[in-house]
Amino acid sequence: MNRNLLRLAAALAGAAAVALPAFAGAYPLQVARNVIMYMALAITWDMLLRSGQISFGIAGLFGIGAYAAVLGVLRAGMSPWLSIAFAAAFAGAASFLIGFLILRLRTMYFSIVTLALAEIFRIVIHNLPEFTGGPEGVVLEGVIMKGSASGLYWLTLGGLAVALAASWGFEKSRMHFALTAIRNNETSAKSSGIDIFRWLLVAFVVTSSIQGLLGGIYVQSYGFATPDSVFDANFTLLPLAMALLGGIHSTIGPVLGAILLGLAAEWLKLRIPYGHLVVYGIIIIVVILFMPKGLYGLARKVSGAADRRRA
Amino acid sequence: MTKLKIERLTRCFQGLVALNDVSFSMEEGEILGIIGPNGAGKTTFINLVSGIIMPSSGRIEYKGRDITYAPAHERARLGIARTYQLIHPLENLSLIENVMVGSIFARGNGLKAARRKARDLCAALGLENLGRDTSKLTILEIKKMEIARALANEPEVLLLDEVMAGLNSDETRLLIGMVQSVAKERCLAVGVVEHVMGVIRELTHRVIVLEAGELIAQGPYEEVSKNPRVIEAYLGGAA
Repeated sequence: MNRNLLRLAAALAGAAAVALPAFAGAYPLQVARNVIMYMALAITWDMLLRSGQISFGIAGLFGIGAYAAVLGVLRAGMSPWLSIAFAAAFAGAASFLIGFLILRLRTMYFSIVTLALAEIFRIVIHNLPEFTGGPEGVVLEGVIMKGSASGLYWLTLGGLAVALAASWGFEKSRMHFALTAIRNNETSAKSSGIDIFRWLLVAFVVTSSIQGLLGGIYVQSYGFATPDSVFDANFTLLPLAMALLGGIHSTIGPVLGAILLGLAAEWLKLRIPYGHLVVYGIIIIVVILFMPKGLYGLARKVSGAADRRRA
Repeated sequence: MTKLKIERLTRCFQGLVALNDVSFSMEEGEILGIIGPNGAGKTTFINLVSGIIMPSSGRIEYKGRDITYAPAHERARLGIARTYQLIHPLENLSLIENVMVGSIFARGNGLKAARRKARDLCAALGLENLGRDTSKLTILEIKKMEIARALANEPEVLLLDEVMAGLNSDETRLLIGMVQSVAKERCLAVGVVEHVMGVIRELTHRVIVLEAGELIAQGPYEEVSKNPRVIEAYLGGAA
């Protein structure tokens, strides 16, 4: 495919995304914000997946970031902006410590432990009511930027920009080689001088920080947090479904998947309330069975076949 | 100069002694054959030296430095490289990208420098069309790529675990010549595990023979191949 054409398309899409508040009303903006939030989470999930590690802990780090931001404002008197940065730093520091414990685990053992982590965080928050507000959660005095619809939209878009930049950074650097080698075969990766634990730790901390950042942005956009809202399993499952549908091991895949599934969910919500979750489940099954590399993988296969026919 | 010194190296797998009290050394510029019947401990030996598994006892010294328990990635950086009997090319990476990995991580080269070095290395081994997916390679190309991947570490000790397996005789001869010239050019100490005795005869300066984890003979191939204990180990007690 033509590289410059792709660049142009990406630049146009970016410009359109930034300019969206100029010609979209409150409802489309709200939908777009949602899609963007999940898109960013899907990208971070995929970034770690490139090493072969399947994390079910997105909601855990997202929730940790959310609570770090809320409590940073309420208990430490931070400004909302500072609290968002604090959310990223806190989730990053937490994942650094957790990484030492769990990054020796592989395959389903790693996945199950990350799943349990989210649950542990939720229970801890539940049971420290004096500090965290307990099951009822905590409410901020106000929403960041006085709740301006375009302001909140741009803030979320900023979160996505961070995720995109990190993901491209991974793709264009030695990180790409490290993660791909680890995913393929750890023994041979070691023989090429790759310190597996170190690279996994970097990938885990980077992706977790961004997930925490997004949690901070989310909670500052809504002005409250409860354990059940910010540790919601959907923050794990929807990004996962989006990345699978769009195509894993790429940046473009999760972006495509998030747009398709995000818009489809919005439409389905109106037709069959809660039924959209069933559709999600069906999509995951169909994708895994029939196109394990997602839409992007399918497109590449088709265009590759076309190239071969021409040649 | 002695590159690698193995002292009383022993490795047990739950009661089975895979390598028992083996001592020898590998010298700069020397190609050493490691032979023995199936299960003799040849691959165990390569795994121990490259750090994929750790010994039960004994000592491994690399250029005078104790590396007995050093992690594998550190040994790769120090200058020990190996190929694998079961090849695993990295999917989703092209031929040249496969070769770049060792240069990036074992040598700490940037991506550009690694690509340049990988290109030179591939050219030296006669590999072409470097942007190709590894699934499109022939067996000979895969074997060459495996050697290139190991050489990308810029090693001083190179361990080849049955790289000739699956090649026809012309291809084998070609690869033997390549290994010889590379070893000479770079002053490598090469360890070769191989089942085909013709390869060992042509390629190696010296041979060690393992049987059931024990070193039973060493010396030039012509000498070792006449050793009655070696003949017995290969042909069984009846011979």
